[in-house]
Amino acid sequence: MTCREFMDSTQELNALELLRLTAEDEGLAAHSRECGACASWLETQQSLAAALQSLSASTAQREASPQVEQAILQAFRTQGFAPKLVEMPKPTGAPLWKLSRVFELGAYAAVAAALIVGVFLGYWILHDRQESSHPRQAQTIAAPEEPESATQITADHGQTEERLAQVEEPRNQLVASHGKAPSVTTVVRVQPKNSPQTSTADNGNYVALMLCDPLICSDEEQVIRMELPATSATALDGSNAGTVLADIVIGEDGLIRGMRIVN
Amino acid sequence: MSTSQRNFPCYWVELLVESTADPPRRAEVALLADRTDEQLLELALNGNEDAFTALYRRRQGPIYRFALHMSGSAQVAEEVTQEVFLFLLRRGRDFDPERGALGAYLFGVARNYVRRAMEKSYSEAVTTSPAEEDDPELVTEFDPVRDIARNQTSRAVWKAVLSLPEHYREVVVLCDLQELTYADAAQALGCALGTVRSRLHRAHDMLMKKLRNTAPALSGVRSDAARCLS
Repeated sequence: MTCREFMDSTQELNALELLRLTAEDEGLAAHSRECGACASWLETQQSLAAALQSLSASTAQREASPQVEQAILQAFRTQGFAPKLVEMPKPTGAPLWKLSRVFELGAYAAVAAALIVGVFLGYWILHDRQESSHPRQAQTIAAPEEPESATQITADHGQTEERLAQVEEPRNQLVASHGKAPSVTTVVRVQPKNSPQTSTADNGNYVALMLCDPLICSDEEQVIRMELPATSATALDGSNAGTVLADIVIGEDGLIRGMRIVN
Repeated sequence: MSTSQRNFPCYWVELLVESTADPPRRAEVALLADRTDEQLLELALNGNEDAFTALYRRRQGPIYRFALHMSGSAQVAEEVTQEVFLFLLRRGRDFDPERGALGAYLFGVARNYVRRAMEKSYSEAVTTSPAEEDDPELVTEFDPVRDIARNQTSRAVWKAVLSLPEHYREVVVLCDLQELTYADAAQALGCALGTVRSRLHRAHDMLMKKLRNTAPALSGVRSDAARCLS
């Protein structure tokens, strides 16, 4: 037997067993004879056990007084045993867990919503910046709405007169380029600034004229219907009439964006 | 029983109780001596007063001595004994034998009442001590074990036990003085078996240090004895 085994064995014993140890356990007794340190330790433990046994023996006869017994028996006779308590369900962590679960799911949903809104805003801002950094190309022109009737055309005529002055300069430019002044006939319309843009191919046979720098072309455009000398329009239309009726799209800078032959 | 009778010395009260007890009932209680605690409780729950009396007489002594050793006060021990059995009357139907022995269960209840009583007495001592300090005649040496343990060694050991921290005092009282098994002590204290072992080992070391100079019979105690663990 090693010293550790000896110590482990003796620590399993209470005071009374410790006092009878060497007499009952030959292995422990043999080790205590061989090992002086263990024998000394055992002697100390046995001395303490003997002292505790002395204390236990000196109080072994102590009991509660008969009045206590009388009081207890009186309580038994008058009250008896109380009925068994119905155990209330203990407040486990389940409701709290469920509540926290709800909050957890809510937090996840809020984070997901914030991410979606963030992505959308980011996309929208990027898209907006791209729009502003790349203005409308010269070949995309506004789609002029066709007048629904002659009455509408007549009603717009007052405004047309006012804007004719604004297109005076482009008209002079056209005169300079074609030699014969085209006559403005009836309609001038202003393209709304943010109206949808359509390409030439999709927009009533307008032909884009690359007469402006895409970086400086403004959004405001005007469509002027005018008669042009047939010689200048022959290349576009192929007709041999004296004049042709054409819609000219003019930007605010006075340059022509595009045109189409109406008749 | 009148108030004056309660103040009689114990042997007068014992004589009074012996003379008024019903002899046939005493015989019935003695017949129940071979029943286990759990069987007696079962009978008592069904209204058998003799079974309850037998159970009380079997368990009141250990409960009383446990409280006495823990507190050093006979008054506290009496109060705790009474409270424990009144608790049994209130909650006896809740006892589950599958969770442990009734004896250990009662020790566990007694432990809580001892703790409560000692906290109460400590707070009362704290609140009354300034007044006593003012009057030198009221200041006396506090020696709760002097009248109980006549033997000098026993008194020294008891004082050493009482000076232990509560966790260590409990295991010494239960395992060494009440001779409970470690398993029953663990059930009474509501802790693991290994905790009881380690606390008892530590408590023995502390006791030996305290007793080295105070108890003549233990003058040879060497707490720092050299150990070879080869």
